[in-house]
Amino acid sequence: MDSVTTPNTCPSVTTTEWVRPETCVALDAFFQGFGFEAAEDLAALAAWALEGVTASNVKPQAAVALARARVETWLTRELDMDVVGEGRLLTRGRAAFVLCDGARFGATVFTRDAVPHELSRALSAAVPVPTPAQVATAMPEQQLVLWPLGERLRRWLRAGQPDMSVSR
Amino acid sequence: MHAHSFSPESAGIRRLFVLGLAAVTTVAGTWEMHRLLSARGTTVPEGVLLALFVLCFGWIALSFWTAVAGFLQLAVSKRLPGLRWPTAEEAAKRLASRTSVVMPVHNEDPASVFANVQATYESVAATGQLDAFDFYILSDSTRPEAWIAEELAWADLCRRVGGQGRIFYRRRTDNTGKKAGNLQDFCERWGRHYDFTIVLDADSLMDGRTLVTMARLMELNPRAGILQAPPLNVGRSTLFARLQQFAGRVYGPVVAAGAAAWQLGESNYWGHNAIIRTEAFIQHCGLPVLPGQQPFGGHILSHDFVEAALMRRAGYTVWLVTELGGSFEQPPPSLLDYAQRDRRWCQGNLQHLSLVAAGGLHPISRGHFLMGVMSYAASPLWLLFLTSGLVAGLWDGWLSFSNPHLLEDLPPEAMHFDAKGSMRLFAVSMGMLFAPKIFGLLLGLASAKDSALMGGRVRLVLSVLLESVLATLMAPVMMLFQSHFVFGTLLGYKVSWSSQQRDDADLPWSEAARRHAVHTAVGVGLAAVAWFLSPGLLLWLSPVVAGLLLSIPLSVFTSRASLGLWLERRGLLVIPEESEPPKVLERSQEVAGEFAMEPVADAVDHVISDAKAHALHLALLESQPSPAAVPMALASARRKLLGDTAEPLSAPEKTAVLLDAHTLTEARERRLTIAVS
Repeated sequence: MDSVTTPNTCPSVTTTEWVRPETCVALDAFFQGFGFEAAEDLAALAAWALEGVTASNVKPQAAVALARARVETWLTRELDMDVVGEGRLLTRGRAAFVLCDGARFGATVFTRDAVPHELSRALSAAVPVPTPAQVATAMPEQQLVLWPLGERLRRWLRAGQPDMSVSR
Repeated sequence: MHAHSFSPESAGIRRLFVLGLAAVTTVAGTWEMHRLLSARGTTVPEGVLLALFVLCFGWIALSFWTAVAGFLQLAVSKRLPGLRWPTAEEAAKRLASRTSVVMPVHNEDPASVFANVQATYESVAATGQLDAFDFYILSDSTRPEAWIAEELAWADLCRRVGGQGRIFYRRRTDNTGKKAGNLQDFCERWGRHYDFTIVLDADSLMDGRTLVTMARLMELNPRAGILQAPPLNVGRSTLFARLQQFAGRVYGPVVAAGAAAWQLGESNYWGHNAIIRTEAFIQHCGLPVLPGQQPFGGHILSHDFVEAALMRRAGYTVWLVTELGGSFEQPPPSLLDYAQRDRRWCQGNLQHLSLVAAGGLHPISRGHFLMGVMSYAASPLWLLFLTSGLVAGLWDGWLSFSNPHLLEDLPPEAMHFDAKGSMRLFAVSMGMLFAPKIFGLLLGLASAKDSALMGGRVRLVLSVLLESVLATLMAPVMMLFQSHFVFGTLLGYKVSWSSQQRDDADLPWSEAARRHAVHTAVGVGLAAVAWFLSPGLLLWLSPVVAGLLLSIPLSVFTSRASLGLWLERRGLLVIPEESEPPKVLERSQEVAGEFAMEPVADAVDHVISDAKAHALHLALLESQPSPAAVPMALASARRKLLGDTAEPLSAPEKTAVLLDAHTLTEARERRLTIAVS
């Protein structure tokens, strides 16, 4: 489908009329994940994500990938996270952003360089740490001889099954 | 490894006092019972009756002498020997150890669970020793809605108290070993971070000062393996719960102090509101799987007694520290909920019978197993005792009827039943049964402050009388419930594992009628048989008969919060923790009211539609091990969720979806896309 001739029905990206509607929808969905709901915020964020993109037929996946990259860069700057695996920064950073209700500051938190100090502090404090690092250890199963006298007799007679707790 | 004693030198004399006097009392009571029964010779039913009497009377005698020891201990107000307590200087120092506070939960109401955690957390923070503690909510919740609600409640709690990195949340995907397995999983993954672990229950609430003192005691007593802080029942409004709370507050300390006074370093562990030495627990308390089939074989159901026995076997002491205070829990709100809890505990305690003779255990640990068994077996024994008494009466009547000349050969003294002697034995038995209540009442009356906080001396006496009457009426119902559980367990009754009802909800009449119909019928039958034998016998059995006949209204009315609160307004069944609530309790109630949560109606729908739940859930999912294989349920769930027709998901499908980040992301994007277009 030719994106130039496609009528634009995107509700939010009014400034990027040349973008495919499904791309707008995908970008809106992505930023709604951060708690943004206002149309003007979503439009500004879509514009921010596609800043510098000149191709008019940018696909939804590519647009979302760009948005992810931008947000990850922003999160890297804002959060001091020790171990960050593939996608973890975005997942945990987004959770922190939503938990401290970062969307209430509007789209400018992403689009401008200066982040409000209050948000910066709240964001760091809100990064979910469900559990600390593990120190793996085994809890050995204890053995109980339920009837020691009977067990001695059994051994002496060499008969029957051991009368003791069994291994897990 | 063999058990050896670390208890103080006075342990022997204390145990001789309680156990010796209990034995002497049992022998004397049995002697008297034998004399009463054998006036005309002893028949087979009378022999059975005597054997059952020995067990029942022995159990009462042990409880009585334990209560006497507790009363003396509380009256002299001296600290038990054995544990080294911190000096004022030591108590002011910072804790050098690290302690984890763990709360295993299973499909609980997150609002009250997290309110208790917050109150405990803030209370620890107020001591200035928060750096020495970490908190863990260890979820075994199987209901998807409970799981998501817990995640949201955890995040909210962390936000409110700034607890990220100090309050942790972990949910297990499989519930192997139930609560004991939950704790084991914690020990194997994070246990080595901590010197001590404080185990809480889902309804536990503890004062920060108590937690600090427990950690301090563990630091000062390196051979102490477990310290149990007896929890006090608080925070409920139903009449039944307020009866439990009152009994626990007035009589409970007498019983607990008595047990602590003779058990000393060989005391028991109740599974929660206790601190354990983590390394010793990891090394020596891994629960075995018992040989054979249920009810005696398989996984150990009631883990706490066994863990205490294993800890003791490894050479560490286990203490019941009654002086600690600041340890709370909630009682079940109604008689039926109480019975439901007993049903779970019953099989676990009976299973301990197979451990009584196990090698290397301390004799007192064996005693704990037997006492646990007796706390349930006493009910069927009492039932059998009553039944055999009736059978003995019928037998006697039959013999006299079938052989009228039989009585002519008997000496004149055998013709008259020694009513005075039986009344004396009955009075002694009742006296021993009610002794803990009397001792508790005396201690309450002796303390001007306590009695004032319990409505004043007159109301305190009236409350004890009211509690005694209602407890007496409810005892036969519990006897039948517990007998059913015991016989059912022995005959292969299935014990389901469900969370307790913790709300003050009124019990409907229909439910009460359904559950107590058999009890009422037994009451009618008992009354008829007793009347047939002798109207006097019916009078003797009237408390039992009345309790059974009134079981339905008793169960309904005692489940009502309105009645409990009505009595509270009149100063009856009041405990000091209601008149002058501890800060931690007040705070917990305040938090529960202030931060009430919206219930999660559908977990998957909530995670897909709510940005906060979605983001949080995906973040927490990362720390959870992925399932080894993609479950079949996920395929069908995806078909339903991402297909064109909306179909409701089953619980396993919901769980499968909630464990799959990819499906959740896809479903959310799809929903948002549809919403926009």
